[in-house]
Amino acid sequence: MGRCTAFPCTFRGETVKLKNVWVTYSGANLPAIQDITLTIPSKKLVLITGPNGAGKTTLLETCLGLLKAFKGEVFLFGINTKSRSVVNVRKLCGYVPQDFIKPPFESYTVKRVIQFGLAPYKSIFEQLTKEEEDLVQEVAEILDIKNLLAEPVGTLSGGQQQKVVIARALVRRPRALFLDEPFSSLDKESRKLVSNVLKGYVKEEKATALIVSHDTNPVINLADAVIEMKDGRIVETQGL
Amino acid sequence: MLELLALSFIAAVLSGGLCGAIGFHVHRLKITTLSFSVAHAALAGAAVGLILGLDPIYSAMGVAVISALILGFLLTRVKYGGELLSMTVFSVCSAIALFAIYLSNTQVLATSSISVILWGSLLAVTLQKLTILLLVTFTFILYILAYRVHIDSILYDKKLAEAEGLNIYNHTLAILFFAGMAIASTLKLTGGFLVFTLLYNPVAASFQLTKKAYLQLLYSSLLGSFSASSGLIASYFLDWPVGATIAILSSIILLLSFLMGELKKEEALKDILKKRNRINSV
Ligand SMILES: Nc1ncnc2c1ncn2[C@@H]1O[C@H](COP(=O)(O)OP(=O)(O)OP(=O)(O)O)[C@@H](O)[C@H]1O
Ligand SMILES: [Mg+2]
Repeated sequence: MGRCTAFPCTFRGETVKLKNVWVTYSGANLPAIQDITLTIPSKKLVLITGPNGAGKTTLLETCLGLLKAFKGEVFLFGINTKSRSVVNVRKLCGYVPQDFIKPPFESYTVKRVIQFGLAPYKSIFEQLTKEEEDLVQEVAEILDIKNLLAEPVGTLSGGQQQKVVIARALVRRPRALFLDEPFSSLDKESRKLVSNVLKGYVKEEKATALIVSHDTNPVINLADAVIEMKDGRIVETQGL
Repeated sequence: MLELLALSFIAAVLSGGLCGAIGFHVHRLKITTLSFSVAHAALAGAAVGLILGLDPIYSAMGVAVISALILGFLLTRVKYGGELLSMTVFSVCSAIALFAIYLSNTQVLATSSISVILWGSLLAVTLQKLTILLLVTFTFILYILAYRVHIDSILYDKKLAEAEGLNIYNHTLAILFFAGMAIASTLKLTGGFLVFTLLYNPVAASFQLTKKAYLQLLYSSLLGSFSASSGLIASYFLDWPVGATIAILSSIILLLSFLMGELKKEEALKDILKKRNRINSV
């Protein structure tokens, strides 16, 4: 897989920078993350761990600007996530959400869903190029879901659906991957496969990966740095 | 008379198809309650327009589009409670519509026009309105063709699409804009109370008929077209109220699609059993 050429970016600094960030969900009394200051350097595979409710998902979504900090500032590739141009730097990112399961009647096919990852790079009336079509096939092959490409997503098992979102993130050839529990539904073999693919991708493409996983097993050996969270705070960092 | 009927027929084909296609998008975006309140805003707009001496369809269009855009804007700000917000707007709009209708009762001339926007009318379409409807339909088709992958991606998973750098707000607003236009232009045909049948029944039926997303969109607009136009013709010959005829017809279509869907499932099951028996006997 080649470097993402669809959306060039010349920014060379840190991938994500958070300064004293507090996030509270609407309707909640207590902040889900509190006073987080953190820098995620480029070209590193960083693992975020911690128990349920620690604030890992909140942190990841805040990095992408999907959640807004009520105090503090968040920079993604040097762009403040409150600014309108956050839409542009998101094009440099791949995202695997924690809740990816679709209901049985979901009718878009696996192939189409993986192609959706390329939608933001397309201008009006623009179709996928031959290389992009091939890339979709290639990524599906690597993740062992090529035989499912024509199936509606709703008919897939949980683990298969998880591979589809991972494929969708990878097909974007992003400079940064934001993965929320990407192994949660995978079997042992698949965990190994996916973690090797991710490690390989980060190394070859000089990309950054921010991986949330409460179970550190599949990735702990691959990570350059580990961040441990609890009760909305960072309690320990190693390797940063 | 026949000329007017022909105009109405073309309008029914277009607005039915438009409503069916928009219903698919609105349903997938999970903003059905929102379109419900937009429909009532259109009704209120039409009623107020009548009192002010404006053409009710144009005032309905204006109010529907403005309320769709405001609601869409608000919905993107409040991540939760959007349903409640829509239902509040729905109540307020219905209240305004009823107030306006009550007030207009004192003006004798207006009452027949009021009944048109409430219950629909066979012959309410003019050439000018048809032209507007044609333009809206054409722009909508152009829009969904131009941005097909973007829109599909948003319909599949709004949050993921946003995280990947799609401008989900602009597209949601665009779809709401078209929903407002479609609802307002269908208002005179079906009447304010029944306009949603054309937004919801065709898409519900299409989901019974196929599991493929692009076919669902196609079937939804075809069924919308068919319900509206055949309902119009039926109401002309049977001398039934047009809005109610369309609503009943599209509900029958929904019922038939449901039965067809069930039949299909049964046959698929039979096929599997047959195959299994064959394997067992070998
Ligand atoms: N939508 C929401 N509204 C209100 N509070 C929320 C919402 N989502 C999460 N929270 C709260 O924010 C805190 C952090 O949640 P978060 O989802 O970030 O945890 P997590 O570390 O990802 O947990 P898990 O391992 O279960 O995925 C929790 O206390 C949770 O109750
Ligand atoms: Mg989580």
